[in-house]
Amino acid sequence: DDEQPPFLNSWNQIYAMVLIIHAVLIFLFYLFTEAHA
Amino acid sequence: MSYLDWTVLVATLSFIVLYGFWKTRNVNSTESYILGDRALKWHTIGLSIMATQASAITFLSTPGQGFDDGMRFAQFYFGLPLAMIILCVFVLPIFYRLKVYTAYEYLEQRFDLKTRQFTAFLFLLGRGLAAGITIYAPAIIMSVILGWSLSLTILVLGVIVIAYTVFGGTTAVSQTQKQQMIIILSGLFVAFWVIINKLPPEVSFGDAVSVAGKMGKLNVVDFKFDLDNKYNMWSALFGGTFLFLSYFGTDQSQVQRYLSGKTLTESRLGLIFNGIFKVPMQFFVLFVGIMVFMFFQFTKPPVHFNPANVEILNSKPEYRDSFALVQQNFDEVFDLKKAKITSMIAAIDSEDETQIATVKKELNVLDRRDRIIRKDVEGLLKSYEVNYPSVSSIETRDTDYVFISFVTTYLPSGLVGLLLAVIFAAAMSSVASELSSLASCTTVDFYRRYFGEKYDDQHYLRAAKMFTLMWGMAALAFAAGASLFENLIEFVNIVGSLFYGTILGVFTVGFFIKAVRGNAIFWAAIIGELCVVSIFLMDYHGIISIAYLWLNLIGCGITIIVSLILQGFMQKDTLVR
Repeated sequence: DDEQPPFLNSWNQIYAMVLIIHAVLIFLFYLFTEAHA
Repeated sequence: MSYLDWTVLVATLSFIVLYGFWKTRNVNSTESYILGDRALKWHTIGLSIMATQASAITFLSTPGQGFDDGMRFAQFYFGLPLAMIILCVFVLPIFYRLKVYTAYEYLEQRFDLKTRQFTAFLFLLGRGLAAGITIYAPAIIMSVILGWSLSLTILVLGVIVIAYTVFGGTTAVSQTQKQQMIIILSGLFVAFWVIINKLPPEVSFGDAVSVAGKMGKLNVVDFKFDLDNKYNMWSALFGGTFLFLSYFGTDQSQVQRYLSGKTLTESRLGLIFNGIFKVPMQFFVLFVGIMVFMFFQFTKPPVHFNPANVEILNSKPEYRDSFALVQQNFDEVFDLKKAKITSMIAAIDSEDETQIATVKKELNVLDRRDRIIRKDVEGLLKSYEVNYPSVSSIETRDTDYVFISFVTTYLPSGLVGLLLAVIFAAAMSSVASELSSLASCTTVDFYRRYFGEKYDDQHYLRAAKMFTLMWGMAALAFAAGASLFENLIEFVNIVGSLFYGTILGVFTVGFFIKAVRGNAIFWAAIIGELCVVSIFLMDYHGIISIAYLWLNLIGCGITIIVSLILQGFMQKDTLVR
């Protein structure tokens, strides 16, 4: 279960990275929506 | 369709099929047929997962949905990355440790045979019906656009996909999906580039985006909580996450994609790839629809995008006159709207906020009139259907035809063939996964489970090929007969989603609640399923109102709670005895 990921130090860091990318994306969508309302 | 288009279409599809045959010429065991010898790399898994989920209807309907309803559908996918992470953490390690062929195989190891076969049966029922619709739904649209008969379109789509799926099993599916995704994405980028270049020279891309925003089309994010609203942030993050957990975690057509990974790491990276790129891809497909909408603000669109329906209305004199009147109204509104958009662009360029607000109001009034006129055409079609009833019903909505009729009317020769290949490739990639998973489930969860050691591996390989062929023929037969039933597509989609919550409940208990055993979960699943069907029927008959995304959450919750209660009773019962 604890196979090392190919980048970063742990799988948890990869999951955190995915969540951050997703949150930033939603925030950009929010700005996009507000800018063109 | 020019000769060049036909050449591009036939060459693209032939390449995909031959590539599938070539890559799987050495498939010689059940494991390589069902799990591709567990040799896939993360990028193949990721593209394969995306290609399985994105069917032809995704690329026909989604731009049409952008055209009609704006961007809010993008929110539907906001829960997907969360679901991918939950699967990577909790589900994949268990499936890998137990070396299962199907998701349901795990349930026998955790509970008992009847729980395994009950969930496998629900999967075969829901997905078996869906496979027919995955062929039928795009075939209706393509047959109208290509001028082929519906049966011929279904046959062309079905026979190609059955051929390579029966021959090469899951490896053929994954390898062809990689090529199909490349064709799909490049086709969409080309279409987008053409649309931008087709805008009038005085209208820049920025102008088009600004005006689309003022017309309320760029509503990507909505934070208002509303149980009845299908697409907002909250139904996406809660309802959507549960839906994607069920779909990617318990639906064999997806589970089989990542079970064929070389290692746990490759499978996890494949799911994460899907989690990161799925939302931007859907955003882009919707945005293509928005740009088609803007293109049609400067170039007069048809008042109704389905040419077959227009032909129907023009076939009877009393409808021809009414339709001509509607068309005349539509033309007037189009000219008024075009003038307003020009003044809107001028107001935006000069940053005159009062003028922008004034024009925005006027533009929205005109846009509403535009919608009412389009509804009038639907009204005419409904009235026609009452006066001239026929065997098959008329689909009065035309949003699925918006993108494809733009493609066939305005794209240059050669690119039309490429975009049609995109739609065919998307249809085939989804059907292939469905057939392959239905056959795997039938072979592993029923046939091989029953006969076990009695036969050798070669026998089960032949059986799996035979089951793939049988499910393929069943899907073709279902697609061919589908036009005889009203609202069939909606019915099949609902049937599929009614099972998801319960199945997810069973798996959730399996993974997280060790105390619950086979009998308790089996009866809890049946009670949970009955509750979901009852709630759906109450919603259908207007007694309550609830968006269907929440049904998954409810089905899952009831199954978990009832299984705990039943397990409590059963333990007491054992102690008393």
